[in-house]
Amino acid sequence: MTPIIAIVALAVVGGSVVVVSSRDPRTVLLALAVALVATPLVADPLATPLGLAARLVGAILATYLLWVVARHRGDRGVLTSPTGGSRIGWPAEILLAAGAFVVGYAAHGLGAPADGPPLASAAGFAVAALAVAPVVTGQDVIRVGTGLLLLINAALLVRTGLGGTPGDLEQLVTAAMLIVLAGAVAALAASARADGSGGYAYADPARVRVRREPDAHPREQL
Amino acid sequence: MSLLPFELVTTVGAVLALLLRSNARVATAIAVGGLFAAAVTALAISPGQSVVIGGAGIATTEYLRLFLVLGATVGLLLAVVGQAVGSARDAAAVTLGVLATSALALSLPDARIAVLAATAGGGFGALVTLAPTGGRVGATVGTRVLRATVVAGTMAVAATAWIGRDLTDLAAQPVVFGLAYLAFALAVAIRFGAIPLHTWAAPLTDNVPETALPLVTAWAPAAFAIVALAWADASIAPLLVDLDAVRFVVLAIAISSIVLASVAALIQDDIEHIVGYAIIGDAGVILLAIAALDPAAWAPARTWILAFVVARSAFAAWAAATRSVFFTGRLTDLRGWAIRSPALGVILGVVVVASVGVPGLAAFDARGTIVALAIDGPLGALVLLGALSPLLYYGRVLLVGVGRPAGGAASARSLRPVVSPVDLTDLRSWLTRTWSDNLAVTATGGAALLAILALAVSFGAFGASSAAAGLPPTLDVSRESFAPEDPQAPVGSDAPSAPPADGEAGEAPSAPPSDDEPSEAPPAPSPDGSPSGAPSP
Repeated sequence: MTPIIAIVALAVVGGSVVVVSSRDPRTVLLALAVALVATPLVADPLATPLGLAARLVGAILATYLLWVVARHRGDRGVLTSPTGGSRIGWPAEILLAAGAFVVGYAAHGLGAPADGPPLASAAGFAVAALAVAPVVTGQDVIRVGTGLLLLINAALLVRTGLGGTPGDLEQLVTAAMLIVLAGAVAALAASARADGSGGYAYADPARVRVRREPDAHPREQL
Repeated sequence: MSLLPFELVTTVGAVLALLLRSNARVATAIAVGGLFAAAVTALAISPGQSVVIGGAGIATTEYLRLFLVLGATVGLLLAVVGQAVGSARDAAAVTLGVLATSALALSLPDARIAVLAATAGGGFGALVTLAPTGGRVGATVGTRVLRATVVAGTMAVAATAWIGRDLTDLAAQPVVFGLAYLAFALAVAIRFGAIPLHTWAAPLTDNVPETALPLVTAWAPAAFAIVALAWADASIAPLLVDLDAVRFVVLAIAISSIVLASVAALIQDDIEHIVGYAIIGDAGVILLAIAALDPAAWAPARTWILAFVVARSAFAAWAAATRSVFFTGRLTDLRGWAIRSPALGVILGVVVVASVGVPGLAAFDARGTIVALAIDGPLGALVLLGALSPLLYYGRVLLVGVGRPAGGAASARSLRPVVSPVDLTDLRSWLTRTWSDNLAVTATGGAALLAILALAVSFGAFGASSAAAGLPPTLDVSRESFAPEDPQAPVGSDAPSAPPADGEAGEAPSAPPSDDEPSEAPPAPSPDGSPSGAPSP
């Protein structure tokens, strides 16, 4: 364990705490960028420059796609709609992350010697614990979407902790996957925001389970 | 590397079409053109090639080629049908994205990387919810699709990472192998929307066009399932570990999906819901193959997957064409549909034969083999009967079709082609008019082509059976390299499903002997990481 990896791991966890705690989408995305950019650095040895570059570009582009949506000003010039934020507050989220961090560190290897640093497992567990609440209970696209990005990021951290530093191809595919997932979240968030005044909130459940019209005419024409 | 043109065409096409989606005509033209180019470039793929990139690599197989050719062809036909019924604006672009990620997933020997690509495919799939209703409802449904995709991807990443390292000094009980296996199997179940993990899939049928449904619930998860099969056969099946407890869980999900999906489809009144549950039911057979944990299930499972995705796409196209012809998808309003439109009746008949099959068809035999390998005894016979339960809902639909039309039955479009004399002075108007006059004909024609294709695949045409019995991708073939020789696992080593990346251990998973477990070391997977039951080329 090196102090630098510890600092970077804490940055990942800290960024994730802000992601799940803040109600301002722009703050959420800034913190998400920090978490995604720092994640590939929680490895020993570090990935090759090509791999790191791929992940860096992937993280920035993924966050930028979300930023394009979050920076949007409405008709009245008001910036964005708030996202859900934490229901238990950031201090509780920090405690949750700290507990999971300790568990992840202690459980490093999950029963067998691991090839990666224990801090990667610790950070992975912490980020996964933080991601559960938004993924399960989130009621708006941005909160659930950023929670999902944190969740897959946690899996990547645990993967690094167990299997060691990923190779270049894996870094490239990881970056592409993050971009696709973030792009999908951004498109869905933009679609929600453009529909009425509810911001990024989910639709009323009654509208989601609608039966098709009995005598529907051909739908949307180009 | 003959796969690269395909990757280039599909990736660029998907990105361009999605970026330009505000201009529907341009985006659609790009996506449909991209699908055509994808079909051509997929045909040009040469099996047996590989390229090494930084310690890992991608490799082509005959199965990959066939999957992509069928995917591009089916995607093109679904796109045409979707355009004809006016309901699938983004579907063609999403198809390109799903094909690009599927190509990557199926060409990666390392399961740890392949699951990432397959997860990205699910991300593309979520975008079909934005049309036609779009808005907040589409975003809500799409986010749930994305949630299922990412949760499944997370479980798969964790499972493959846990197994994909040196486990010779495993301190935990070997039964924890079962947890990794269960995690990946459940991930596949989530991706397919298997019952009872289908809560995200049910609203999907309400909100996406029929022609887009197979993309999300069949094609994108299919690549994920193939990766899971390869991983389980190479990393889990060879282990002498008692995994019956977790196998029962997977079997329970598979059987409940097969049976309950048929029951659900039987009581549905909308043909879109019937299509949705039909896909879930057939996916249960794939889960049975994963539950079998037997390398002998490798070939039939992959044969079934090919037949499943094409047949269900044909069924979805039939549903779209039927809605286009009768302006309704409700069975109560479709009484007499087969009499008033015999062509649609014939198409459904072909789809029934392709999806349920008859003895002698490759898909039928594959399903029987999978069931026999997964479950012994009388229960196996019952499950095999359950696998034929789609006949019940097909029968109901056909009975409605030959019934006497009610007084208020929906009017029907004619399926007679309408082609006015060519106006050379205004060719564009003539083309537009001809297209709009023949929407129902086009949709029905597309559905007919898909049904024929499905029947051919079920028969085992295009070399489906031999391609399915082939090896998974491996780098132990003639290769191109973009990097200096790396520490690949040498031929003859006991590497897991894929050669490890730089700096990673390449030992096969093994468990230490314990008091309760057999003392023999688990047999290593075959040298190339292929399922040990897969035949040599």
